[in-house]
Amino acid sequence: MKNNEEFNYVIKKVNAIFNDVLENDDIKINYETTVKDIDEWDSLSHIALVVSIEKSFQIRFTAKEIQDFKNVGEMCEGILLKLGNKK
Amino acid sequence: MIKGDKFDSFFKITDKVYYGFIDLFEDKNPLHVNDFFAQSKGFKSVVMHGNILGGFLSYFVGECLPQKNIIIHSQQIKYHNPVYLNQQIILKAEIVEVFESVNVIELKFNFEDEHSNTLAKGKIQIGIIL
Repeated sequence: MKNNEEFNYVIKKVNAIFNDVLENDDIKINYETTVKDIDEWDSLSHIALVVSIEKSFQIRFTAKEIQDFKNVGEMCEGILLKLGNKK
Repeated sequence: MIKGDKFDSFFKITDKVYYGFIDLFEDKNPLHVNDFFAQSKGFKSVVMHGNILGGFLSYFVGECLPQKNIIIHSQQIKYHNPVYLNQQIILKAEIVEVFESVNVIELKFNFEDEHSNTLAKGKIQIGIIL
């Protein structure tokens, strides 16, 4: 799933959300990116990121789903799964 | 609290609120403290500070919602009509988004006068502290 077109579309859109919410256009995320890699990604901005992602993709995660994501890539796969379930 | 829940709260800008705000924050712009100046600019009398409505909003979030473990994450407010001393104000709010994953709720709100004219409106995002 990592290399397919849909995944690339999602991670690109998520990257734009990170740039917007964290107010830093230099942030470049990839599959392995975690909270440890981005200085601006603190507990409050984490909430803003999740809210913005859920709004942008018109999906909703559960608290457990959010907690279980080990990195950005897993979250993007989670987004794809939600989008697939909506079809 | 769920999407679609609606709340009404009633307020009045009393002397205590008005003079208390000036005493605390010292915004003595003539529009807010000089009737002659305010009337020369087309207002009925001195115009109340916009952020007094922000204070009412804080009271609404902190005291009127069914849950007390709440913090404000962000808020936007746009002012549409002036508010005057001793005016009755109704705050109407509705939950428009719920994000259970991060315990966040968004409400839209409308401050109205007794004739249902909009005085100010906006959105506020609150977090529920577990």
